[in-house]
Amino acid sequence: MSHLEDDLRAALRRQEPPADFAERVLARLNQAPEPSWRERLSVLMHPPRVQWVAVAVMVSILLPTAAVQYRKDMEKGERAKQQLLFAMHVAGNRLHQAQKKVLESSRL
Amino acid sequence: MKIPWVLTALVVVAGASGQSLDLKSLDKLSDKAKDVTVNLDGSLLKFAAKFLSNDDPDQAKVKKLVAELKGIYVRTYEFESEGEYSEADLAPIRSQLRSPGWSRIVGVHSKKEHDNAEVYLNSGGSEPGGLVIVCANPKELVVVNIVGKIDLDELSELGGNFSIPKVDVDKSKSLKPDTKKDD
Repeated sequence: MSHLEDDLRAALRRQEPPADFAERVLARLNQAPEPSWRERLSVLMHPPRVQWVAVAVMVSILLPTAAVQYRKDMEKGERAKQQLLFAMHVAGNRLHQAQKKVLESSRL
Repeated sequence: MKIPWVLTALVVVAGASGQSLDLKSLDKLSDKAKDVTVNLDGSLLKFAAKFLSNDDPDQAKVKKLVAELKGIYVRTYEFESEGEYSEADLAPIRSQLRSPGWSRIVGVHSKKEHDNAEVYLNSGGSEPGGLVIVCANPKELVVVNIVGKIDLDELSELGGNFSIPKVDVDKSKSLKPDTKKDD
């Protein structure tokens, strides 16, 4: 048991770093290459998965809403068309009748 | 058969929105009659025209006719029995038609059938008007107000030959605020 403690103590004993340790670490940091524009673009083009989830949620909300709105517009347009045809039919018919009556009365 | 229009005014040039009549005085007749109300103002008219087919000859004619219109307003009332409306109901409309610019170009009164048809035009001055048709018999009243430029010959031709089926204006799905819902 004491043998193990001795080994641990020996392994964990404080050791001073070499004298140039700090300089070497700083030098390595300065040597780390910056990401190229391709790497940056790649990050933009491949966003994290959570962004794709957000996009999917937005699309799943917007698409049905747009579809419903489109259908409403079509229905409204169709009703307006029916009303327009009806109105023109009534107007044309009544004008035609008035015209006929004028002609009939002018023949008398 | 195309009947030539007996009057010289073949084309009514009308453009001002001010020529749409106030037809509210007729609203109270809705309670007494089977009625249809159509209010198509400029924007709705353009919207509706987009849905007209160029392939259908009748619809193509209508599309051409309404191209320069600013509004179409129609009121039709069918009464169960005679005497359910009076001349007083039409008085506010006639009053508007007495204002400057309006002139009655047709007035047919049938004493035998008590059937009256009147056509008014407003085409005067720099503020040109529109067309109003008032047809009244004891059990029916029809008022049409068209605002904009329209060829009367072509409109009349529609009335003579228009082969569209009877249009059932679904009033439960009326276009608010343009189409009045009736009870």
